[in-house]
Amino acid sequence: MFKILLVEDDKQLVSLLVGHLHKFGYEAQAVTDFDKVRKQFELFSPHLVLMDVNLPKYDGYYWCRQIRNLSTCPILFISAREGKMDQVMALENGADDYITKPFDYEIAMAKIKSQLRRAYGTYAGSSNERTVSVEGLTFDVERLALSWNGETVELSHTEAKIVDELLKKSGMLVSRDRLLEKIWDDQAFVDDNTLNVYVNRVRKKLTQLGIHDSLQTIRGQGYRLYPNWGKAL
Amino acid sequence: MKLFLRDQSPLIAVYLAQLLVITYIYRLDGYRNTAISLYAGLLSGCLLVGYLAYRYITNRAFYNRLEEPLASMEEFTGGTQSTPLAESLQQLLKSQLRHYKTELNQYKHKIETQIHFINQWVHQMKTPLSVIYLMVQDEDEPRFTAIGDEVDRLKKGLETVLYTARLDTFEHDFHVEALDLEAVVRSVTSHQKRLFIRKRVFPVIRMEGAMTVHSDEKWLSFVLTQLITNAVRYTVRENRHIHFHGSSRGPDTVLEIRDEGVGIPASDLPRVFDAYFTGENGRSFQESTGMGLYLAKQICGKLGHRIELESAAGEGTVVRILF
Repeated sequence: MFKILLVEDDKQLVSLLVGHLHKFGYEAQAVTDFDKVRKQFELFSPHLVLMDVNLPKYDGYYWCRQIRNLSTCPILFISAREGKMDQVMALENGADDYITKPFDYEIAMAKIKSQLRRAYGTYAGSSNERTVSVEGLTFDVERLALSWNGETVELSHTEAKIVDELLKKSGMLVSRDRLLEKIWDDQAFVDDNTLNVYVNRVRKKLTQLGIHDSLQTIRGQGYRLYPNWGKAL
Repeated sequence: MKLFLRDQSPLIAVYLAQLLVITYIYRLDGYRNTAISLYAGLLSGCLLVGYLAYRYITNRAFYNRLEEPLASMEEFTGGTQSTPLAESLQQLLKSQLRHYKTELNQYKHKIETQIHFINQWVHQMKTPLSVIYLMVQDEDEPRFTAIGDEVDRLKKGLETVLYTARLDTFEHDFHVEALDLEAVVRSVTSHQKRLFIRKRVFPVIRMEGAMTVHSDEKWLSFVLTQLITNAVRYTVRENRHIHFHGSSRGPDTVLEIRDEGVGIPASDLPRVFDAYFTGENGRSFQESTGMGLYLAKQICGKLGHRIELESAAGEGTVVRILF
């Protein structure tokens, strides 16, 4: 299990991040005494460090240099400053990447994952093998494969994002806005009609697995994945 | 010269008057020799001209300074001529310049402190914003979505404050590089995706080939964000589009941003780039600050881009940036 050290003085932010990192299978710990960041680093010996810039006493750059004397582990900066110079400063003080506040969980997780992958080999460790499973319907996030009852179908990137979201909130309403947000990326904008098309494709793939009528449309609001396939077994 | 003559004209007048008075008195007393009188007048006239010439030559620099407008502050203190008048003027100007500069520096310092404080404050606000944002990110209930939208607005507001404060120190804070126009537009639109989705307005990007522009990514993105925010805000009907069209016009690369919104009344058009001007639309739409287009214009000016706006009420607005 990968260990992540958080050097951030905002308690709320720390507790949210720690919670989220736990959910993704990382062991996360936050620095409590900002006089002894170096000491805590040695004690915990993390695989990756999340570092804020503005800290009590010394700033993040200072601690970054201190850590660099001990280790070459990835250090990700989290900062409110988004200027080019601030990023250059961070990188020159030994950081590996930079996240600006306020940030998305997704972006933070993706950067953490990619840093770990680069530092410790491809897809090493269990935390990258994320699967979502509801009543035996299993979605492999890395392989974009959905399987149930011994059958497996491949999903496209966009379909995978829809399935991921619906499974995580299975039984609950997922609004159209949220799905649109999830599948919107730099390359393709998805309008309402396109979303309909994608949802229909997902429905078709579920049918291929032998799951019928579980992806329900709630008019004017969104969709719900109703876990009715468990009873069929 | 002119000023000198004007300055000395009372003296000349008094001199002529007393010459007349004296000649007249002598005449009354019985000296009627006109030739002698004229000769005396000529001699004393020569003396006057001599005196005036001397005055003019010694004080020439002084009069020239008074006559010529100053090109810069530094000229206040240049070149001296040692007559009492010129010297004391010099002293006066020097002390005035000193006072002026002290005061100017005080204000400069005050403004710098202010800007520093604003920067600091905005950055401090970003941590609580991150916390709220992280809290609502995984929730999909309408009230959490609403909080998320408000966070977006706060974030945008803070950004505007930051960029407005930075505008004056622009020279220290920009870095021009070759940018892929399409990549910049896509990144900005995707950052604003929540705004688009909420209003059910979608971007359409069309580039005539690969377009490279020379600009500062951060400032350009800020300008585009302002324009997009406007475009989306003034698009009232759902399922409309905002068209981003990149093309070449002569030596320029043009980015056109066209919306299908309410447009701007012709009477407001000449003033849309003024600070705090909100116009008709500002009255019917909330949260118009009148700063968006003003900042866009200022920043484009500093980056060396031109910005054009065309609009017809009811038909939408076209903004063009010419790189």
